[in-house]
Order: sequence, then C-alpha cells, then structure tokens
Amino acid sequence: MIDAPVIQTRALTKSYGRVEAVRSLDLVVAPGCITGFLGRNGAGKSTTIKMLLGMIRPTSGDGAVLGRRITDPRENVELRRHVAYVSEDKRLYAYMTVEQMLRFTASFYPDWRHDIAENLLREYELPRERKVRALSKGMRTKLALLLAFARRPDLLILDEPGDGLDPFGIEQLLQSLVAICAEGTAVFFSSHQIAEVERISDRVAILERGRLILDLSLDDMRESYRQIDVVFPGLPAERDFQIAGIRRIRAAGHQWSVFASGNADAIVDRARDFHASSIQVTPVGLREIFLEMAREN
Amino acid sequence: MLWYKAWLETRTRFLISLVGIIVLCSLLIYHGDRDALPNTGPSYYYFVLRSGHSALCTMWILAVTLLTMGGLLREKAIGAASFTLALPAGRTRLMSVRICMGFLQAFALAVLPWAAMFAVAVSTGKARSIGQAGFHIALLAGGGMLFFGIALLVSSLVEGEYTAPVVSFGVTLAMSFLLGDPPLRAYSPFAFINGVEYWDRHSGLLVGAVPWAHIAASIGVTCVLIAISVKAIQRREF
Repeated sequence: MIDAPVIQTRALTKSYGRVEAVRSLDLVVAPGCITGFLGRNGAGKSTTIKMLLGMIRPTSGDGAVLGRRITDPRENVELRRHVAYVSEDKRLYAYMTVEQMLRFTASFYPDWRHDIAENLLREYELPRERKVRALSKGMRTKLALLLAFARRPDLLILDEPGDGLDPFGIEQLLQSLVAICAEGTAVFFSSHQIAEVERISDRVAILERGRLILDLSLDDMRESYRQIDVVFPGLPAERDFQIAGIRRIRAAGHQWSVFASGNADAIVDRARDFHASSIQVTPVGLREIFLEMAREN
Repeated sequence: MLWYKAWLETRTRFLISLVGIIVLCSLLIYHGDRDALPNTGPSYYYFVLRSGHSALCTMWILAVTLLTMGGLLREKAIGAASFTLALPAGRTRLMSVRICMGFLQAFALAVLPWAAMFAVAVSTGKARSIGQAGFHIALLAGGGMLFFGIALLVSSLVEGEYTAPVVSFGVTLAMSFLLGDPPLRAYSPFAFINGVEYWDRHSGLLVGAVPWAHIAASIGVTCVLIAISVKAIQRREF
C-alpha cells in the first residue's frame, strides 16, 4: 500500500475571469480510505476534480495524484491509468452497446477484472446487447460505476455517484465503495447526500466558494464537535464567553446555543462560571457541521 | 480500441453516405447516355464528368462534412467528454485516430463510388478509362481534403451538437459564393475538384497532367487546418 497521499494539491486555483472557482486549495487525500468531498452547488468540487484529471488547467498552483503531477500532460495520462472517474452526468457513448462499452473500456486497462465486470453485470441487471442510448438514467449510472469498479484502480473519483440511483441502487453503491476501499482502493467522492457521506466516509473535506473550509476525519468530528445549549439567568457578554473551540453563539433570550468544534469541557466549565442554570451538550452530525460551516463562510 | 470507437461513432453515417452516393452515381452513369445526343458531341464522358462526377463532388462534400462532425466538443455537448478524457489517452492521440479514420472514410467515399461507376460502365459496355477515373479521383480526394480540414477545424472550435454542422455547411456555402466567379474561381476548391480547368469541352475528357503541385498545396493547407484543430483541442478546457 502507498503511504503518500493519493491526492495532494498546493495552492490550486482556478479563475474564470474575475470569478475564482477554486481558491488556493491545499487538499490532501490519504490512501486506503474513503474521503467525502462536500460543498454547495458551485462550490468548486467538480472544477477541482476536473483539474486533478487534466480536463481543466489550473490558473495557478499545482497538485499530484498518485505522485504524478496533474499539470504535466504526460504524467496526467499516466495517472489516469490508475484512476477511475465517474462524472456527474454519467453520460457514455450512446452509439455503443453495453457489451461494446465494456470491451472498449477494458482495452485501456491491463488489470481489468473480467470477473468483477461479469458479477456486476448480473448484479446490476444490465442487458449486454442494449445500446447505451436505450438505458434508463439509473442503468447508465450503474454501467458507469461498473466500468470504474472493474478497472480495480488505485484511486476512485466519483462526482455525485448516487445521482440517478434509487434507494436500493444507492445501498448497493455504498456497499461497493466500502468493499473496494477494503481491497486497497482510495475513494474520493463528492456528494450532496450528507447522510451517505457520513455513513461510509473516513474523512471529509468541505469546500465553500472554492475554499477548503474543513478537512478532518469523521472520528475526530464525532469526538470534537458539540452543540452546547446553555441557559443563563443573567446574560454574560458574548466577548467574555469567547474561548477556543467556539465557532458560533446563537442567542435567544436567556438561552444560548453554542456550536463548538472542540474544547467542550472547557466551554461547559466557562458556562458554569457564569452560573448557567442549564447546560446540555449534544454531539452534532455532519449535516449540522456542513450547514454551520457553510453559513459561517 | 480508439479506432473501434471512431468506427462505431461514424459507421452509420459513413455507410448511409457510401451506399447513397454509390447508388446515385451508378444510376447516373447507367441512365446518363439516354440524355446524350448520339453523334452530336456530348459523349459518355460528358455525363460522367457533368453528371456522375459533379454529383459525386457535391455529395462527397456534404458527406465528409457530416462525417467529420464529432470528437470531443460534440461529446462535451452530449455529456460524454468526461468519460473520454478520463481514459489514459492523450488528446493528441484521440484526435489522431479521429483524423485518420476521417481521412480513410473520405478517401473511400471518393474511390468506391468511382469504382462503382467504372463497374457500371464495364458491365453495360460503355466507354471507360482507368486513366480518366484516376484523374478524377486524384482531384476529388486530393483537392477535397480541404473540406475535411475546414469541417475538422469547425468541429474543434464550435460547440454544440447541431451548431457545428450548421456553421460548417455555412462556411462551405459562403466559399462557394465567394469563389464562384473569376478571378477568384482560380482558387476555388469546388472548381478544382470538379476539374473545370482540365476539362476539354469537345471531348468531355480531363486533359493534361494530374496537377500534383496543386493537390500538394491543398493537402498542405489541410495539414495546417488539422494542426490548428489539434492545438485548439489541446488547449480547450472541458
């Protein structure tokens, strides 16, 4: 297994005129784990992924995928031998049949796993002789995923992989991602489905307006992030209450809702110092963190 | 397998064009001499040149323009470019295969209809000449590559599934108007592939030597257009 990051970017920036789609992004994706890539529409997730794969040239900065520079066209072709990518729209060649798509794609990858392709064909119930143009959106998504999984890549990059799948299909997908990761493939996927990201990811990176605003492991998140609801008989000044770990205080009368990224015990102690009559500490989920961070930025 | 993809992508258009052109040109040759006035001048070759070859030239330009539509910009328009660009194949390689397939198909569309016309002439006992057929093919395939280059350039610059063919046909049409009359007609690729300069109106035959220098110039310009197209695709962001 490779210990170096599978993705590493340094000050990666993409501008369209005066609009900065991605701003000085320093992203590190560890090998052997599933990393969720979150962000609102237009946050720069797809642009980042396309820069990693050489479809878009960065305005400045650089990066490496599996140790190969993304801005060097030759190295980028080489890195794509080891990376599988499923794009957001999952469009394939409408004029090919499922069988032809398999044959065509397999020819680029010497390590193509025919057994995996056959198993997934059966599991996904994809008709071999049907033209891609005649497949439903869900079937097209499954075919795109099959073509990615059967390459047995070192890195799997997925852009909204669950889009177009029914709940059963999404369940199949999540299980497949966990299984492929267990076999040593790093998974980097963007999604709007926070619950799914939270369920299978080891780490999460959140992008907001092109800037990386959070990059941490889900374990750390569960350990550190807390919502602390405090009731004060006499309100303290907000500035007196500010200590490390507090991201945001929302006051409603005598009740404060404190969103903390760590240091919960110290915050509780500080609340007691101000004679809080009620203190309730609750863990927060990825959804709350995402919304909070997006609001903050 | 990029060849396989290029073939699958274009085979329907190519086969329809090929069959259509062959049938039409063969019918023109088969029935052409009905319209000729015996012993009064217009010979069989008049009909080959005016009917068969002229029809072939027009249909060839249309077919080659249609066949050349495609590639990464069209795939971008229909959403499949991300899949292609994620494959471990450089853009130059993708373009090269597409260009070579286009050349082969364009060449086939020039040679096979002529072969069919020749076969019709042989089977029906009409006059024929391999030298004349070769001359016509050289003019069409050599000079006509310019249209291939123009279509390739348009398809590498203009996005949209239908916009590119419309623009390409527009450019071709504009060229036919602009270069239709003297003195600019000397530079007209339409006049060149039709063999206007080499056609003897009395015999109905192409006369003189095959204009290799002119053909080489046409292929040279085509190469420049191809190079610009490749550069444009290399620089394009998807």
